[in-house]
Amino acid sequence: MAHIKVVRRSMRPEEWTDLRFGWLKRHIYSSKWEIENLEIRDARQRAEMQFDYYSDGYRPLKKGDMYFTPDGTAFLRADVNIPKEMQGRELWFSLKTAAEICVKVNGKYIGGVDPNRERMLLSPYIDDKETLHFEMMGYNRSKPDDERNPESLSVRGCRQIFEGAYICTVNHAVQDLVWDFELLLDIAKSELFNEDYRAFLNKELNNAMNLIDFDSEELAGISEAKRYVDEVIYANDNYKGSGDVALIAHSHLDIAYYWRRIHSVQKNLRTVLIQLRLMDQYPDFKYTHTQPYVYETLEKYYPDVFDELKQKVAKGQFEPVGAMYVEPDCNIPSAESLIRQCLYGQLTYKRMFGKTVNNAWLPDVFGNSWILPQILRKSGVDYFVSNKMSTWNDTNRFPHNNFIWRGIDGSEVYACVPPTHFITWNMPSQIQENWEAYIDKDDGGQTMNMFGYGDGGSGCTEEMIELMHRFDKLSVMPKCEHIGGSEFLERNLKNNKNLATWDGELYLEMHRGTFTTKSELKRTNRRLEFKLRTAEMLSLMRKENNTEKTTTLYKKLLVNQFHDILPGSHIHPVYEDAMADYEEIEKELDAIIATGESYFNTLNFTRDALTFIEDENGTSERYGKRGFFTVPDIPALSCGQAKSDSFSGEWIKTGEETETPYYIIRFHPDGSFASLYDKELGREWVDGDFNKLKIYTDTPGNYDAWDILPNYKDKQINLEIQKPLSFVSADNECAVFETVLKTEKTTWKMMIRLFRRSRGIEVENIVDWHEKHKLAKAEFSCGVLSRKVLCDTSAGYIERETHRNTSWQQARFECCHHKWCDISETGGGVAIINDGKYGAGFDKNIISLSLLRATIRPDVISDMGKHNFCYMIVPHGGDAVSAKINMLAFQYNVPLVKADVKWDFPTFEPLYLQAAKKSENGDFTVIRLSEQDGARGRIQLDRRVKILNMLEEELYETDVIEYKPFEIITIGM
Amino acid sequence: MEEKICQYVENVLAPKLQGDGGWIEFVSFQEGILTVIFRGECSKCLILHRCTEWIEEEIRRDLKLDVQLCAIRKKPYFQDV
Repeated sequence: MAHIKVVRRSMRPEEWTDLRFGWLKRHIYSSKWEIENLEIRDARQRAEMQFDYYSDGYRPLKKGDMYFTPDGTAFLRADVNIPKEMQGRELWFSLKTAAEICVKVNGKYIGGVDPNRERMLLSPYIDDKETLHFEMMGYNRSKPDDERNPESLSVRGCRQIFEGAYICTVNHAVQDLVWDFELLLDIAKSELFNEDYRAFLNKELNNAMNLIDFDSEELAGISEAKRYVDEVIYANDNYKGSGDVALIAHSHLDIAYYWRRIHSVQKNLRTVLIQLRLMDQYPDFKYTHTQPYVYETLEKYYPDVFDELKQKVAKGQFEPVGAMYVEPDCNIPSAESLIRQCLYGQLTYKRMFGKTVNNAWLPDVFGNSWILPQILRKSGVDYFVSNKMSTWNDTNRFPHNNFIWRGIDGSEVYACVPPTHFITWNMPSQIQENWEAYIDKDDGGQTMNMFGYGDGGSGCTEEMIELMHRFDKLSVMPKCEHIGGSEFLERNLKNNKNLATWDGELYLEMHRGTFTTKSELKRTNRRLEFKLRTAEMLSLMRKENNTEKTTTLYKKLLVNQFHDILPGSHIHPVYEDAMADYEEIEKELDAIIATGESYFNTLNFTRDALTFIEDENGTSERYGKRGFFTVPDIPALSCGQAKSDSFSGEWIKTGEETETPYYIIRFHPDGSFASLYDKELGREWVDGDFNKLKIYTDTPGNYDAWDILPNYKDKQINLEIQKPLSFVSADNECAVFETVLKTEKTTWKMMIRLFRRSRGIEVENIVDWHEKHKLAKAEFSCGVLSRKVLCDTSAGYIERETHRNTSWQQARFECCHHKWCDISETGGGVAIINDGKYGAGFDKNIISLSLLRATIRPDVISDMGKHNFCYMIVPHGGDAVSAKINMLAFQYNVPLVKADVKWDFPTFEPLYLQAAKKSENGDFTVIRLSEQDGARGRIQLDRRVKILNMLEEELYETDVIEYKPFEIITIGM
Repeated sequence: MEEKICQYVENVLAPKLQGDGGWIEFVSFQEGILTVIFRGECSKCLILHRCTEWIEEEIRRDLKLDVQLCAIRKKPYFQDV
């Protein structure tokens, strides 16, 4: 007998309730009066607060008209006289839209409407007897949040249909009942709640609906239904929920993502405005808002709203959180950049509100470097909040939610990785899901549940607060408490002896492609980080007061380290903006760095590694510039000469084998090494593909720019050899070999440089990259037996396992590193030093350095076009520390500068001089030192200095610096 | 005229669409028909016709030219809608 699936075609009782719920919602407004004299003027934003208008004047806007344009801002206006019959009543403004509209009436910002809310309260802010001059500014948002609202197709997209703007009154009895049903239907539909209770709800919600006469003119039975809900449904406490959930109001605001940074000014205004109005309406409502940078834009462009914000901060309703200037990527920025995020962020809050904050609030960042706990602690931050590891890990469940995070140097911060997403809308099912996912139920205190719309800001809604006010009527819900961010952290984490400790990086098992996507951003960011260091140091030595300028430039760099800018997860115009910012920063820094007669070594150790010196008459070429290679000998922080060496003998033999003072090499035609025999150490370094360019199909799906999947090696594409590797030229220091490889669309020129006086082998890549969904890697299968690699973090190294024993190692198939990585056994190893690559994979004895990706979402042409980058292969004796790989990597990344200056302070060796600058208040010199080798020791100084925290506040005085492994020490002189 | 329209698409229209995560590329202009490729978010937009009509209006206003737009959608492999 054929199996016939039984499909129920008649309406189920629950569907009948849903249907009537839809009818009920149509009665929320008791009266609506259409504003018929609206006018609109289309524009497009060119810069912050600057617009190109599509027409000289306004045009009428009528119901049914199309409005808004791609990436458009629309200005709407109308003079409104409230009809007499509506005067004296509680009035609302209503406009259903996917745009983000800020509304000003008679010169005062009243509120906002957007895809998450169609109405705003007018009454307390207007005199309804006078003419109301409405001025609205709306930024069109077609992506991506509107896809969460499938009901709004007509008002969605770059071009929307105007459905009218209204002055309304609300039928509060209906509205209250709608919120009751919203709440109860969510529970009834959620499998997270008790099945019997849900059956009870389905039955009783139907009974409540039965009391309403939907055929009557006045919708009779609303009060009876409300009473039924109170007396039958809310009164039933037979079903006991469990849990203790803290509800933290928050809105995630991406400074740039599917929109440019210039739009975040109004996104922030709208978000703040709406939350301020909710605070007026609900005195118990508290809201947390991050990123001092966006507070600055509000203060600059909307001082009246900022004043209101300050009042609400003083009242304790509006809570600034997050010490960092923006929510940066926390993998790629250097230690000094992360310190500046805290320094400038905290100083901004202190200036604005008279106090700093004690938390880092980074809900959306793509993993967190192990160097962070120390930086946070020394910046006045005891608490760390970041959501992604709990909700986005693709392999392992992160084992804690409330815990202690121990950093690379042993510093500890209290950490909260909330169990669920940072964007929720306060539905009972979301709160229940949070409680059920909460791992530290017994020891961690309350669980943190953030609520509020976000990504492009927006925040909490009236509905979220109204639902929250009903939670304690429901015995089936966890205990819920609406509190502030700091209050949550201090109450549940502070001095909590039961918390477990996580000692290591907070690696996110997702978004592994962001170490590589948009490679030019990464490389330029690296270069500018070091140029800022140089500019501050030279300003100090020249006694030039450039602090204000360098702080401004640093802040601009920090904004571009935002977690959807530097990682590359953004639309194309965001990339163009970032590159324009970089160009401007670099130009200004070059002017500060200026020039001089002699070369100055900005590093605080002797410069003795191979260096390229630009010189029009040079016999070498690197990065398209003429020059020469030399091995200088310039002491720490001193001036010296960098001349071409006078050596004129033969130092290299080419042929089937190539022999240099260090190596005997056999190349493959594609530039990979068949053999790299170390004459000095008497060993072979090659064990398989070595310096082998491999291009894989890289199709991670929707999170295209973000992700690399673990199976990326499944499909490798063929590289043709257009020009086999051949010897090109040699001078007295350097010999160059060249090969050209190609795919159907891409040309890849690889120049291999061997040196007379360096163990390093440099590979310069000149690429015309036109792939789609590809990942290029340089792979090095090393003749080394080791189960770990060392990776630079910019402030010390992290060990990573190279085996795949457990799911934790399996998940880390692609990691973030900074200037170098190294695989060593006793006696020797191989380091790969780069000048702007961050992604790498480690598998057994293979290092695979990620070079380029070719993603198409969100940016269709991400990484397309010309690329030029170098890396250096450094086989060495001993391990990475004894071989001084870190020092080599600094010399590889920090060029000698021409400057006639004198360093008047100690050199602080063996610590790394991370920064030397004037203090932000201009009163003293700030020196930042970083222990990077995992060593302990003391430095006796010839003078007394002040030990500072990273906010440049004095802790104590000393003439001895005692340092611990990986410690960062700030001193004032 | 083809060059003029190509420049208009690439320099005037494209940046606007890119600002919303979309993408437009000029293909040809023949006998009043302007053929363009849509990528990015435009490629899967359910209401792209509203934008194509707007593009025709913009060209009419700025270039004083009546064109009929022929849209080719180049969808990413991972999108079906």
